[in-house]
Amino acid sequence: MTAAGEGGAVFPELGAAPVDGSEPHAASAALDPFAEHRTQRPSRFLYALNPLAKLAAPVPVMVVVMFSRGIALPLAFIVFAAAVLLIGARLSGRAIAALLLGIPVVALVLGVTFGVWIDPSSVADHPEASITLISIGDWDFTLAAYLVGFATGLRILAILLLSLIAGITSTGTEFVRSMVQNLRVPYRLGYTALAALRFVPRFGHELEIIRAAHRVRGTDVGRGPVAAVRRSLGYIVPLLASAIRHAERVALAMDARAFGAHRTRTERHLSPWRVRDTVFVACFLAVSVVIAVLTWGR
Amino acid sequence: MPPAPLLDLDRVSIRHEGAEVATPVDVSFEVARGEVVLILGPSGCGKSTLTLALDGLVPHAVPAALEGTVRVAGLDTSEHPVGVLSEHVAMVFQDPDAQIVTGTVLDEVCFAPENQLVEASEVLERAERALKLVGLWDRRAENPDTLSGGGRQRLAIACALAMAAPVLVLDEPTANLDPAGIDEVYAVLRELASVRDHAVVLVEHNLDAAVDLVDRVIVLDAGGRLVIDGPAREVLRERADELVALGVWLPVSTLAAMRLRDAGIVLDPLPLTPSELAEALDALPSLPAPLSASSPVRSTALSPRPTLSMGPGTGSTGAIAVIGETAIRARDLSVRRGGRRGPIVVEGVDLDVTAGDFLAIVGTNGAGKTSLLQALAGVIPAPRGTVDVLGVDPARCAARERARRIGFVFQNPEHQFIAPTVAEELAQGLHLQGVSEADAEPRVEAMLARFGLESLRGQHPFLLSGGQKRRLSVGTALIAGAPVLALDEPTFGQDRARASELLDMLRTLNDDGTTVLVVTHDLQLVADYASHIAVMDSGRLLGVGPTVEVLAGPLVEQAGLRHPPLARATRGLARHTAWHSVTRMSQLPVSSKASS
Repeated sequence: MTAAGEGGAVFPELGAAPVDGSEPHAASAALDPFAEHRTQRPSRFLYALNPLAKLAAPVPVMVVVMFSRGIALPLAFIVFAAAVLLIGARLSGRAIAALLLGIPVVALVLGVTFGVWIDPSSVADHPEASITLISIGDWDFTLAAYLVGFATGLRILAILLLSLIAGITSTGTEFVRSMVQNLRVPYRLGYTALAALRFVPRFGHELEIIRAAHRVRGTDVGRGPVAAVRRSLGYIVPLLASAIRHAERVALAMDARAFGAHRTRTERHLSPWRVRDTVFVACFLAVSVVIAVLTWGR
Repeated sequence: MPPAPLLDLDRVSIRHEGAEVATPVDVSFEVARGEVVLILGPSGCGKSTLTLALDGLVPHAVPAALEGTVRVAGLDTSEHPVGVLSEHVAMVFQDPDAQIVTGTVLDEVCFAPENQLVEASEVLERAERALKLVGLWDRRAENPDTLSGGGRQRLAIACALAMAAPVLVLDEPTANLDPAGIDEVYAVLRELASVRDHAVVLVEHNLDAAVDLVDRVIVLDAGGRLVIDGPAREVLRERADELVALGVWLPVSTLAAMRLRDAGIVLDPLPLTPSELAEALDALPSLPAPLSASSPVRSTALSPRPTLSMGPGTGSTGAIAVIGETAIRARDLSVRRGGRRGPIVVEGVDLDVTAGDFLAIVGTNGAGKTSLLQALAGVIPAPRGTVDVLGVDPARCAARERARRIGFVFQNPEHQFIAPTVAEELAQGLHLQGVSEADAEPRVEAMLARFGLESLRGQHPFLLSGGQKRRLSVGTALIAGAPVLALDEPTFGQDRARASELLDMLRTLNDDGTTVLVVTHDLQLVADYASHIAVMDSGRLLGVGPTVEVLAGPLVEQAGLRHPPLARATRGLARHTAWHSVTRMSQLPVSSKASS
């Protein structure tokens, strides 16, 4: 057998350290693509679903929202998606507040930011075009422009909320696992992509050091876009050199651990497509169709 | 039935693609279950390459030609893929970061057995056993990024153990770790070695940590040929001179004993550990008085042969710095990482560095050493008015003003290179000063000559060897005439030969009057080279003072560090109290012949 000796005799002090196994680093969990939702899973229904179901159901709806016009349809789907999230996901108090209060505020603000970019002549035939909200010089910000901008903002928010259904209730690992198991994506591809996720923060850190190092050499003389581009080009060689070296080392380490040795690998977590996944997709789409029919064009 | 050897190498030569000669050459040996084998050799002899051949990465994954045969549990590695061989040989590499591929500690340990199609229940059993052995079972749900360097390397060992392979190969597993991490890893390896269930093949240059757990030593010479294969203690003791001549590094205690032997104090057999050295010294009825730390005799663990120093600096290091006056002054210096709301990493530091000092900043990982050095050199901004380097605030003055006062060398020299050739790399610093092309030329030539880079002037900096890169980075830091040089972990991840080359260069610069600041983990290097030590712990400066005083006091232990090997041996001497302050090789007595 491999392991010599039973039990953690070597580092008793570590073994005794109280480790909160339930929620390691709760604060950073939202940012950690690997974080597990293990403990939350039984409580709300979204965690019990296959990640692919949570993706497959909202995607067609997102397409519909993207091509919709008007305010009613995206608004209805925002309410729908928010309801699914509130019922199906365990959200922190902060997240619930953001959902209930933040979304309306963001929608109203987005209406202005998108609205000012609207060409006034394109909405001139709307009845609301005669209502001017703000007037700066000979430029008028009309209610019609605002409403078009508002609708655009709502569409973006609706798509965002629909994608959150899968996004905040499953981890990167779960996605890869279900893609490998259900969609027959080769595991070598899936798990390599997952390993590559680890590179991102590393390269960010490395880039920071390189920039500091170049600053020390006095390359920060000169302002403006030309100097900035020249500086950035200077970061590429050292970053690439270390990236390639790192990738080679990771590849060797994975080879040494039998990655890719067999056509399949043992899965400790099964991610089957169950009846409840089909039911979820069907119900989600049925409700969506009803909403879309009722609100289309309004 | 007598079991076949787990590893069987027969006349193995490996030539990397593009290399002209093969290293290693013609190497044959066998390893049986229960053995702990240490492979030694000077840098460039092919030790690491040899370890890659033990599980088939050479020739399957690394572009290199393999001659001869490597048999793993009877399987010829050139005929079996790495995946099959991995059932018999597990590897642990030098860089803990480059071995982690999943998101949690538990997934990481399960990764290899899952690839090997082991039953899920057994995967978990193996993972639990391996994680408990290395003391990480309670942290199994965490992201490996949250572990310390030593913790991640213990995780890598657990991953190797979970493969249930009878051979464990470790290639410089502690080269990237601080002393606490090294101790953690060796505690695990000692436990493994004591059970004798595995064959362990270890490449390690830190012999002080490894010597008490290896049974057998295999030594390669600079050309990659096997020259010694024998029991560890006998080889290290009886053939110590031969090993030194080959360029192999011995434990500090052994080197110290050899120095004493040259001075007429014979310790037989040669001690290998600090406690053996202490015992042997205490067994002697009398010892000559040690030399004072300020004697002109020069000798270090890296180059033990005693020499006389050139004498103190000339006192003229350009117009800006004068030996004996304050070069760097920090008052109530605090530094936050990552902007105004970031964590405080350096807190309330008051520090004066006198021109001509060789100051080492020491502390455990996360003590704030690098941040302090970077703030002193203006790499990261310190609050206004807290740092003064020869009359300017380094974070707020123009780059050219700063470059004339202090040069900074990053841990990885590649990060600092900005020009396509070595000569232009050096000239860049002069262009920044507004020096004309004609005036710059001779100064670049002088710098190339000083650092032995004349023949490489047209080379791209990235194509230099590791040691050349390091020399070039020091050259670029000094070319504008900076009288102060700051280096962040200059010996991290390097073997002793390169560390020695670099530190001897720093000492020469220091002899010539350059003020040198280094951040380092290696306390024996600090003891041997630094004139002053600043000890950091949790962002605070615990104290600063002359090397001998700091090493004799309690600060080193307060900061969670261990004394360097020589100090550990001499501190506990019962008979020779005058020797308690001996911490550096240069304090050991020399024979009258050598000192004259």
